[in-house]
Amino acid sequence: MSEGPSLEVRDLVKHFPLSGGLLSRKKKVVRAVDGVSFDVRRGETLGVVGESGCGKSTLGKVVMKLIEPTSGTILLGGTDVTHLEPGAMWPHRRQIQLVFQDPYSSLNPRLSAGTIVGEPLENFGLARGSDKDGRVAELFKRVGLRPEAMRKYPHEFSGGQRQRLGIAKALAVNPDVIVADEPVSALDVSVQAQVLNLLIDLQDEYRLTYLFISHDLGVMRHVSHRIAVMYLGRIVELTDKRTLFSRPLHPYTEALLAAAPIPDPTKRKARRRIVQGEVPSPTNPPSGCHFHPRCPYVLPACRTIDPPLVEVLPGQRVACIRREPGAEPAPLTPTR
Amino acid sequence: MTATIALADDVVIPRRSLVARSADAVRRNPTIFIGAILLAALVLVALLAPVIAADPFRQAPINRMRPPSERWWFGTDQFGRDIFSRTIYGTRVSLTVGISVALFSSIIGLIIGLACGYVRALDAVLMRVMDGLMAIPSILLAIALITLTRPGLGIVIVAIVIPEVPRVARVVRSVVLSIRSQPYVESAVAGGTRSLKLLVRHILPNTLAPLIVQATYVCASAMLIEAGLSFLGAGVPPEIPSWGNIIAQGRTFFQIAPWSILIPGAFLALTVLAVNMLGDGLRDRLDPRLARRM
Amino acid sequence: MTILQVRDLKTQFFTRDGVVRAVDGVSFDLNAGETLGIVGESGCGKSVTALSILRLIPAQAGRIVGGSVTFEGTELTSLSESEMRKVRGHSISMIFQEPMTSLNPVLTVGTQIAENVVQHWGVGWREARDRAREVLELVRLSDPKRRLDEYPHQLSGGMRQRVMIAMALSCDPKVLIADEPTTALDVTIQAQILDLMLELKEKIGAAIIMITHDLGVIAETAQRVIVMYAGRKVEEASVEDLFARPAHPYTRGLMRAIPRLDLDAEEAGRRARLDEIPGIVPVLTQAIPGCAFASRCAFATDRCRVEPPPLFEQGGGAFGAAHSHHDGAGIAHAHDGPTGPHLAACWHTDRVLEAAA
Repeated sequence: MSEGPSLEVRDLVKHFPLSGGLLSRKKKVVRAVDGVSFDVRRGETLGVVGESGCGKSTLGKVVMKLIEPTSGTILLGGTDVTHLEPGAMWPHRRQIQLVFQDPYSSLNPRLSAGTIVGEPLENFGLARGSDKDGRVAELFKRVGLRPEAMRKYPHEFSGGQRQRLGIAKALAVNPDVIVADEPVSALDVSVQAQVLNLLIDLQDEYRLTYLFISHDLGVMRHVSHRIAVMYLGRIVELTDKRTLFSRPLHPYTEALLAAAPIPDPTKRKARRRIVQGEVPSPTNPPSGCHFHPRCPYVLPACRTIDPPLVEVLPGQRVACIRREPGAEPAPLTPTR
Repeated sequence: MTATIALADDVVIPRRSLVARSADAVRRNPTIFIGAILLAALVLVALLAPVIAADPFRQAPINRMRPPSERWWFGTDQFGRDIFSRTIYGTRVSLTVGISVALFSSIIGLIIGLACGYVRALDAVLMRVMDGLMAIPSILLAIALITLTRPGLGIVIVAIVIPEVPRVARVVRSVVLSIRSQPYVESAVAGGTRSLKLLVRHILPNTLAPLIVQATYVCASAMLIEAGLSFLGAGVPPEIPSWGNIIAQGRTFFQIAPWSILIPGAFLALTVLAVNMLGDGLRDRLDPRLARRM
Repeated sequence: MTILQVRDLKTQFFTRDGVVRAVDGVSFDLNAGETLGIVGESGCGKSVTALSILRLIPAQAGRIVGGSVTFEGTELTSLSESEMRKVRGHSISMIFQEPMTSLNPVLTVGTQIAENVVQHWGVGWREARDRAREVLELVRLSDPKRRLDEYPHQLSGGMRQRVMIAMALSCDPKVLIADEPTTALDVTIQAQILDLMLELKEKIGAAIIMITHDLGVIAETAQRVIVMYAGRKVEEASVEDLFARPAHPYTRGLMRAIPRLDLDAEEAGRRARLDEIPGIVPVLTQAIPGCAFASRCAFATDRCRVEPPPLFEQGGGAFGAAHSHHDGAGIAHAHDGPTGPHLAACWHTDRVLEAAA
């Protein structure tokens, strides 16, 4: 096993062509993922947070190679899997598994729960027959379900239980990395807590690496070690959790934190700075820094310069021209 | 390890008795049951033909064109043949054609539909071929085939299957396309399931419901086409009683012996109605349930 | 001054699997100009309560089977459908979670708003369109004149929600019911919309019923809060009291189960576990003897499983006096202003409060 990161991504790009290809002169593309780089160490959770259109879900699927990347590199446990064809990619799928957002459509309604969870074991020839059933029963217990429920069908489970099934299936092949795409967003608060606790316990027990995608900052803060903030296909800030919440350097991160409602009426932000404007569409991103039309600290240069993600302070990377490496992180002066 | 994980309680869905649920099902969907019972009755009639009907080929010119009576329930035709027997035997032909065509076109259409839905390269080519085939009217195809070979039940079946396959393939293809994008299919791929298993275990079962519904429509359509072909003389050989050729033979004498046409016609209509009802009922029952998830 | 009174409301749905008691005896008051939050998880009956107030439950699906809803002295449950239509969109308006499905996709924004105005105010089309533009400006929709002639699909999610709010406000309602108005929106847009709603409330003076599952949204917007569980009201308090001293085990459990973005939850360097509420919501087709939350409650005793607790009112720090049922002849519960009584339906509020200390 290599000492390097479990998952590494360099300059990953995914563009979707829009129809209108043959006849129109300029081919329009959706820049879903527009140059993303990060690495995640073994046993660590990297949270990816952002609003709709930021590309976080696409990122998850591209990393899993469920969607082919347009360019860039994906390294799984040190091995470059970027250009592997589906057939060649297949053995590597053991190392990276996915937990989906929607507990209702991510389980085949016609298969029993035991069959669904046991399928990966069959696929990779890890267990057969009663041996497989035994392993599935153990997985059920591990995620907090009764093994007798193996024979039931997905519709007989509640949302939270289905999510546990999805987790059990992901665990079946003992992966190194789990990509969790909004795993608790569709669940009620009380159930959400159960599933989050389960995910954290499993990570501690099996030293799993999580790429945790979510729009919920509270969940992010609870579950992640490091957090990447995405906006329109790019990472605008990447740092450890504590720093992100105590000393955010990118104006968008600031805006997100200011906007998120806090369950404490004494902290009511009556006239806080709420960033205006709409979340732009990835088909037509603004020039230069994508955030410039909404940024309260915008300078003329922001319209033309595409800021790279640079390490401004140790362990904190920011993509903003007003944050210079090494400089003291003072509050920026608003320009509008 | 960690603090005790509370075992998630199972959802209790109260289940009512089998009798209650069956009664409920019939009440909510009378069409399926009416259609099914009618069809079952007709199949029974067809199977028991030798028992319930006399020899359909026996000619007795002395008894020509008798109206329906106690002796000849449906009367006789111009050759003195018992129309009741001929009609009953005609049931065999229609049902054989209907069911065979439905079966063959379903199997072939399923394979083509799966292939097109799953392999994009095949899709472009095969779908154009399907479009071409759909344009050929069965009747013309049948006539063409018959001039090349001998007339017979087999040729009729082949001639009707060929234009029906594309319709089935289309339905299957659209189901496959919609399922492919479902998260559970992605989940299976992520879990290492490969193409063949994906098709057979995840995709195929979901195509069966729409396929069955489509098959009933194909069956009804095939029976009508066969009757038409036989009526034109391009179908089953005239000695073998088929509703189509019974009607054809009764045509010239319609004014004096209308029962020759009306009775086989009624049977044809009834059979097609039964099959269509079954198809409609199944469609209503199966489709919303698939969407509703329980 | 109370403008809306809900007393012992009971709404039931008739399904194949039995009768679902979606709302099981809920009572509350709404004062003019106040923001009342109704919070609970899915299936608790909060949306059904709102739909019941406006009599929007489809007749084949369910019915209000008991209780009363009084708006400015008029009993809404006994109005005819045509009389009810005069109330909806006029005195009491509602906005929904999904603006795309709540707006007619084939009519322009201006037409939809103007239609509402014409129907309730009886003015001419031109005047109605002017009013439409006025409310679009009120909700700070950019370029209102142009928007009048645009279709819903041409607008973003946040803009559509503004249009819905504009439509709801177009006839100066006294009550605005907002059912999960920001759940489908991005965080930054959500903040804009909530801010807008608070601003409008001050300008127009409408009372708002804010229905949501998000305790953060409640903390930001509500003055009084009702917590619902399994079709029943389990706690009612001012928003400060509710968060500072939750007296019902369910409320307490909910608050401890939320991952906080403003607090760092770590114990001895490890990530802390969230306090779970074990089990799942009970099936509503079966009558629940006793307290609906008992099967999941850490403080439950045998009494809880058998005897349904009444709403206890807090007096002098403890929850003593059994709160009278809200009937007109009973003890006046009317609260002046947002503070009002703190009510909890639990036999053991003392232990809950102790555990928090």
